[in-house]
Amino acid sequence: MKAPDFRYHRPTTVEEAIALLADAGDDGKVIAGGQSLVPIMNMRLAEPETLVDLTGVDELRTGSKTPSGACYGATTTHMMFEYELVPDVTRGLLPHAAAGIGYPAIRNRGTVGGSLAHSDSSAEWPTVMAALDAAVHVRSVRGARTVPVRELLLGFFTTALEPDELITEVEVPGLAPTARWGMYKMCRKPGEFAESLAVALGEAEPDGPWREVELWLGAAADRPLRLNSTEEAVRGEAFADLLPDRLVAPLAADLGQDLSAIDPTGRHALQLHAVTVQRALQSAERGDTA
Amino acid sequence: MNEITVHLKVNGRPHTLRTAGRTTLADLLRDQLGLTGLHLGCEQGVCGACTVIVDGLPMRACLTLAGACEDSDVVTVEGLDGPDADRLRDAFSRHGALQCGFCTPGMLLSAHHLVRARQPLDREEVGVALSGNICRCTGYNGIVSAVREALEGGIAAESAAVTTRNHEE
Ligand SMILES: Cc1cc2nc3c(=O)[nH]c(=O)nc-3n(C[C@H](O)[C@H](O)[C@H](O)COP(=O)(O)OP(=O)(O)OC[C@H]3O[C@@H](n4cnc5c(N)ncnc54)[C@H](O)[C@@H]3O)c2cc1C
Ligand code: FES
Ligand code: FES
Repeated sequence: MKAPDFRYHRPTTVEEAIALLADAGDDGKVIAGGQSLVPIMNMRLAEPETLVDLTGVDELRTGSKTPSGACYGATTTHMMFEYELVPDVTRGLLPHAAAGIGYPAIRNRGTVGGSLAHSDSSAEWPTVMAALDAAVHVRSVRGARTVPVRELLLGFFTTALEPDELITEVEVPGLAPTARWGMYKMCRKPGEFAESLAVALGEAEPDGPWREVELWLGAAADRPLRLNSTEEAVRGEAFADLLPDRLVAPLAADLGQDLSAIDPTGRHALQLHAVTVQRALQSAERGDTA
Repeated sequence: MNEITVHLKVNGRPHTLRTAGRTTLADLLRDQLGLTGLHLGCEQGVCGACTVIVDGLPMRACLTLAGACEDSDVVTVEGLDGPDADRLRDAFSRHGALQCGFCTPGMLLSAHHLVRARQPLDREEVGVALSGNICRCTGYNGIVSAVREALEGGIAAESAAVTTRNHEE
């Protein structure tokens, strides 16, 4: 199917873009890479009256280091992270995550700001950026504000952004030289959205257990989840003991599920999440990037 | 209708086109320029049949608005030329890498990008790199073999050129 008709604007500055958005009101929408919005418009699940296209705004496609990490323009593409055309301050986590998003043709257009604003919990950036405690810089004609990603993502396709607000930058704190990360995406075919997506961040003995660990899970709820109970179960434990079966109970607690009442489909999903978390921990434990 | 004007280059030729704001690059190329090599299978980014090269990179023409291609340089299968393209076409026909041909233009453009990169790839890696191009006929084996052969041909041609130059010195 084809998208319904809309008014199309392609500004070249942020000032112009936010003015156009303010004029467009509730029926206006930003388009960046279009890799989520165009399919939705083609299926007529979204019918914006006005589109403000960011592809002409060069100042949004930049990346630079800051004293505490790095700042990436909202329209930095997944491909630019993958091939490190922007600086990486996460010891390989950002390029690794980017390389797993969709297919090359999708990564060449899709943007980090678009992915965060779209707020699909099975996508890579929401979970990875929440785990890293990144924040977005937001502009509108009413002013500027900074929103932590953990507060930006409110649910499926729902964010704390107002219709006239534009994400201009994503600010990512750098990982300490001693920090370890691990990530695992469970999907049946390369390039598909995750059935489960886990990120582990923390400090570990060279070959030993995690001293400190933070775990984040995507594709399990309407937004990325911090796994507090599972972290408890993992901390200080010898890695060999952390089999998926041992993670199921704390994971159920984190997801608010009652193990005795769970149906087979739910049990299967839980098992997938447990395996995904274990593999994320394992990839970090070995210090590689599986 | 909300009309816009787009200036872009397609297969080396400059065009100035009036079109609806909602027009995708795929519809612009097919309906207004008669370039029907690219196909529309899903219009959701999944099948890859609409893949074209925009400013040097493969992209989904079905998910790219025509307006976003202002001043861009677009290459479609009709304009795919040069030694790498010849190697690919030759290898595709020899390996039976196409049957109905619906996926072929997208396959060729995605594969051309791989071949140009000159990075050796095993079968598994070619499969992953082309996982965004769906073929309902061939079962992929012929496609993977053809792409690997064209890639190896490209790498060999380049090392041969280097050897020849060294001999001449
Ligand atoms: C076949 C296919 C497979 C995919 N697979 C994956 C995958 O495995 N993992 C994954 O993470 N993603 C995947 N994606 C989605 C892809 O990563 C998109 O690029 C991304 O979700 C959206 O980025 P975009 O720039 O294309 O945004 P758009 O589609 O342009 O916009 C998406 C939403 O964000 C809003 N928006 C965009 N930019 C801004 C901004 N700067 N400020 C405010 N609002 C903004 C838009 O208004 C819209 O609501 C896939 C897409 C396709 C088509
Ligand atoms: S038609 Fe564009 S990906 Fe299927
Ligand atoms: S040859 Fe028919 S779809 Fe590939």
